[in-house]
Amino acid sequence: MIQTINLCKSYRISGQVIKAADRVNISISTGELVAIIGHSGSGKTTLLSLLGGLTKPDSGQVLIEDLNLWSMNDSRLAQLRNKRFGFIYQFASLIPTLTALENLYLPTAFGKGYDDLKNRAMDLLQKVGMNDKADFYPSQLSGGQQRRVSIARAFINNPEIILADEPTGDLDEETEAEIIDLFKTMNQERGTTFIIVTHNKSIAQQAQRNFSMRDGDLQEN
Amino acid sequence: MKKFALYKLAISNLRRKMVRSILLLLLATIVSGTLLGATIFITGMKNALNIGTYRLGADVLVVPSENEAQARSALLAGKPTSFYMNSSVLEKIKEVEGVEIASPQLFIEPSSFTCCYSVDLFLIAIDPVTDFTVRPWLKNNQHQSLQGNQIIAGRSLPIMTESVIPFFGTLFTVVGTMEPTGMNFFDQSIFMTMDAAYAMAENSITKSMQPLKLEKGIISAVMVKTDGVINPDRVATRIMYALDGVKAIASDEVISTVRKQLSGLLTGIMTVSMVLWAMALFMIGFAFYMIVNERQRELGMLRAMGAKRQHIFLLIVFEAVIITFSGGLAGLGVGFGMLFALQEKIQQSLQLPYILPPPAVVRELVAASLIFSICTGLLSSLIPASLASRLEPYEAIRKGE
Ligand SMILES: Nc1ncnc2c1ncn2[C@@H]1O[C@H](COP(=O)(O)OP(=O)(O)O)[C@@H](O)[C@H]1O
Ligand SMILES: [Mg+2]
Repeated sequence: MIQTINLCKSYRISGQVIKAADRVNISISTGELVAIIGHSGSGKTTLLSLLGGLTKPDSGQVLIEDLNLWSMNDSRLAQLRNKRFGFIYQFASLIPTLTALENLYLPTAFGKGYDDLKNRAMDLLQKVGMNDKADFYPSQLSGGQQRRVSIARAFINNPEIILADEPTGDLDEETEAEIIDLFKTMNQERGTTFIIVTHNKSIAQQAQRNFSMRDGDLQEN
Repeated sequence: MKKFALYKLAISNLRRKMVRSILLLLLATIVSGTLLGATIFITGMKNALNIGTYRLGADVLVVPSENEAQARSALLAGKPTSFYMNSSVLEKIKEVEGVEIASPQLFIEPSSFTCCYSVDLFLIAIDPVTDFTVRPWLKNNQHQSLQGNQIIAGRSLPIMTESVIPFFGTLFTVVGTMEPTGMNFFDQSIFMTMDAAYAMAENSITKSMQPLKLEKGIISAVMVKTDGVINPDRVATRIMYALDGVKAIASDEVISTVRKQLSGLLTGIMTVSMVLWAMALFMIGFAFYMIVNERQRELGMLRAMGAKRQHIFLLIVFEAVIITFSGGLAGLGVGFGMLFALQEKIQQSLQLPYILPPPAVVRELVAASLIFSICTGLLSSLIPASLASRLEPYEAIRKGE
């Protein structure tokens, strides 16, 4: 379970205070697939970053089970991100000089590693339908294929929670649908929690729960 | 493979901006090479000066004036040479005020017929009666005066006592070896009497393929011991005043002139090298500052994947060290290349043979240079790496847009 208590984060831009997260209270159980929608600039990315421990809240708490993220030192927080979170971005995020397979390996550089690393990575590539492209470099893949690889990468340490920030924003509708199907499969097969930020209403409809964000204020629909 | 190794990411990052990486590598190579070359050169020079003439034992050395440079080369590095003057100078020198002992020496450069010696071998004929420079180095002080075709071998020569060796068609018997003197001039020499040398020259006309042209009565140099009342500089001046066509070198002066010539050069080289190094440090540091800047998003994503601050720090330092260490390796070639390329120029302009320090010292300097190149990488990337490690992950990902 991931939970926030009165989470606040604001930015001061040319003298003006912008509340990117305004007393956000949200509680998501393990295995849920939820969607967050909202206009651009409403604070969705900020919220995901707060949930994933990438930025420190001004006030309030983020709890994983009963663990307060910001009570930990940097090193333990990094370990927690490594083991329990997977991030999927709205932009190309693969390292261009590493092959698809090596990109999957990358997060293991910061953890204990696995005896069956290669099998593990190949299984994931198969899951996202990219096993025949394991040795391709990102530049040799289409945008949708790259996104699939980065999704597989997010799963390499078998995280409990996937935080996806507009994961299909720049993809065509068909690919988008495929990727959402992939999320649903992963969610069902592995029981991974998904928190997906999206503009796409149809994705939102497929989620188990729906939230919308407006000026840092999060409400469940 | 159990997990992905961070250094692979560092290498892949360097490959990504190939041109920049190569330029940085070239810079590191040039700087490392220059520093290594300069250090070896300076150490070699200091070495040469330290083992130089002050151990020669003579206060003043008298040589033909046109052969001064050759004499210095011979003394400082044991570079085989030969030059001659008439022995009449000997008697005149003995009369100069302040001279206590004057002993002649004759230098003969053996021709290549001498088998088996890879070292530069130098033949020196001495007058056993008046000699005072060779005697102190004789092993166990068992100095029986040399007679007939007896010779004494310097310490660096792989020659056993009682072996028989031919020079210019005459057979000589080794009757003793010297203590190590630290001077190539002595350690690589074979000593015989003047008489034996003249006889050898005479015999060589009939017995040797390469006859030795040596008139009886000529000498190469006169070793002078002063009386301790008048200082060697003054004695040298007096000798030159009394005799034409000779150069009298006070042994202190051999060192001090060379030192004077060198010290300017050495400080210059050292300064240029250090400035070059500081510039490289700055440039590599600046390059990595830019690298960190342009790679912010990626660094932020690595943090999101679970990279700790140390990981990010290490990654940047790795990249810098890979460049400077490779530069250090390539710099070995450049450094030695420069030394050998400049060797001749140095010889000509300083009238001094260029001397490498002993192999053990060179090895140490090479190791030091590689360690130094690693430190250069560490030092130059310290600031960028620590900046990178302190980025907040979210800010980094966002700013990278
Ligand atoms: N690091 C930051 N510095 C300054 N302003 C920020 C920062 N992050 C977010 N903001 C501001 O907070 C608001 C919410 O941004 P964001 O979370 O990116 O919204 P969304 O993802 O919904 O488009 C925006 O007005 C944005 O300008
Ligand atoms: Mg956003």
